[in-house]
Amino acid sequence: MKVTFRIFRFNPETDEKPYYKDYEVNADPKDRVVDVLHYIKNEIDGTLTFRRSCLHGICGSDGMRINGKNMLACSILLQDLGYTDRDKTYKKPIVVEPLPGMPIIKDLVTDFTDFWKKYEAVKPYLITKTPPPERERLQSPEDVELIMEASKCILCACCTTSCPSTWSNDNYLGPAALLKAYRFIFDSRDEATDERLDIIDTPDGVWRCHTIFHCVQACPKEINITWHISQLKKKLVEREI
Amino acid sequence: MKVAKTGEGYFKLVASYKKETGGWAWIIHRISGLALTAYIYVHIYALSTLTKGKEAFDAEMALFQKPLFKVLEWLLFAFVLAHTLNGIRIVLVDFGKGSFYHKKAFAYLMIIGIIAFLVMGYFIFSHEIHQAFAGLL
Repeated sequence: MKVTFRIFRFNPETDEKPYYKDYEVNADPKDRVVDVLHYIKNEIDGTLTFRRSCLHGICGSDGMRINGKNMLACSILLQDLGYTDRDKTYKKPIVVEPLPGMPIIKDLVTDFTDFWKKYEAVKPYLITKTPPPERERLQSPEDVELIMEASKCILCACCTTSCPSTWSNDNYLGPAALLKAYRFIFDSRDEATDERLDIIDTPDGVWRCHTIFHCVQACPKEINITWHISQLKKKLVEREI
Repeated sequence: MKVAKTGEGYFKLVASYKKETGGWAWIIHRISGLALTAYIYVHIYALSTLTKGKEAFDAEMALFQKPLFKVLEWLLFAFVLAHTLNGIRIVLVDFGKGSFYHKKAFAYLMIIGIIAFLVMGYFIFSHEIHQAFAGLL
C-alpha cells in the first residue's frame, strides 16, 4: 500500500521558517505511524528527528499531532486513521506535526520545560504532616478506586497541548497538571488538601477549563480528564460554602 | 513562565485542530455569547428613543415590524437558544456527571433547540403564513 506522509520539518540552525515535506512510502495498514517514521528516518531521510523511547504507549515520548489530532505515534495504526477508500489506499497524505503550541527544538521534537514547570507547580508528591505509622499508610479499595484513573496518566502532554485554553494562555496549568492535582487532592493519605486547592483555585487553574473536551479526545490512556477537573471545581465550590 | 512560541497562532490552531462535539459546542458558545453581548448594546440604543417621546418610539416599533427585522429577531432567538441550551450542558458537565454523556446531551439539547426555533418561526411569521395560505383555505 502506497501512502504519503506529510511531515512538519524545522531545523532552527538552517531554516528560517518551518515547512512540510512529503515522503512516499510503502506501508502496511497494520503498521503504526511510528514504524513509518522509523522507516523514513532509516531509509529515506536521516535528518528527520522525533522522540520515542519504549514504543509501547507507556513512556509518553512520541506524542504528536497526526491528521490534526494529538496522539501517540506508537499507539495508532495506519488503518485506524480513517483515510482509506474502497481500494484500501490513502488518497490524502497523513499529516504529522509536533504537539501544537509548543516551542519547537527540531522537527517533531518540542520543548517540554514549561509543561514540567506546570507539573511541578501542583506539587506532584505525597505531603503528610502526621508522623509515619509503623508500617505503610493503608488505603481501602474504595480510596484507591477514587484515584485509580488519574494515576494512569503517562505525562505525554497530548492533553495539555490540545487545549485551546493552553494555546491562548501560557500560564494555564493545563489538563495534565490538574489531573495530577486531583490525584493527590483525592488521595486519602495526603494531608495538604487545602494548600493544593489554593494552588488550583486561580484564573489560571481549574477555572480556565471551558469543558472543550479536547483533552479527553486526545488522551491515549482514555482518561476522562474533564470529569476529574469537574470534581476539582465541585470540591472548590464546596469549600467556599 | 513565558515562552516564545514558534508554530501557528491561536486562531489557526483552533481552526486546524480536529474538533468533536466539545470543540464545536465551545465555538458555538463563544460566537453566540459575543453576538448576544453585542445585541444588548443595540437593544439599549434602540430603547433610547423612549426618551424622545411617544411618536418617535412608535415609529421605531413600526420599523421593527418589517420582515427584515422579523428575520433578524428569529436569528437572535437562535443565538439565545444555542447559548442557553449549551449553558445547561456546561452546568451538567461542571456540576453533574455530564462528562460521561456530554455528546448525547449536546445532541438532544440541539434537537430541542431546532424544534423551539421552528415553533418560534411559526409564531413570528404567523401573519405572513396565514396570508400566504389564505387562498388555499
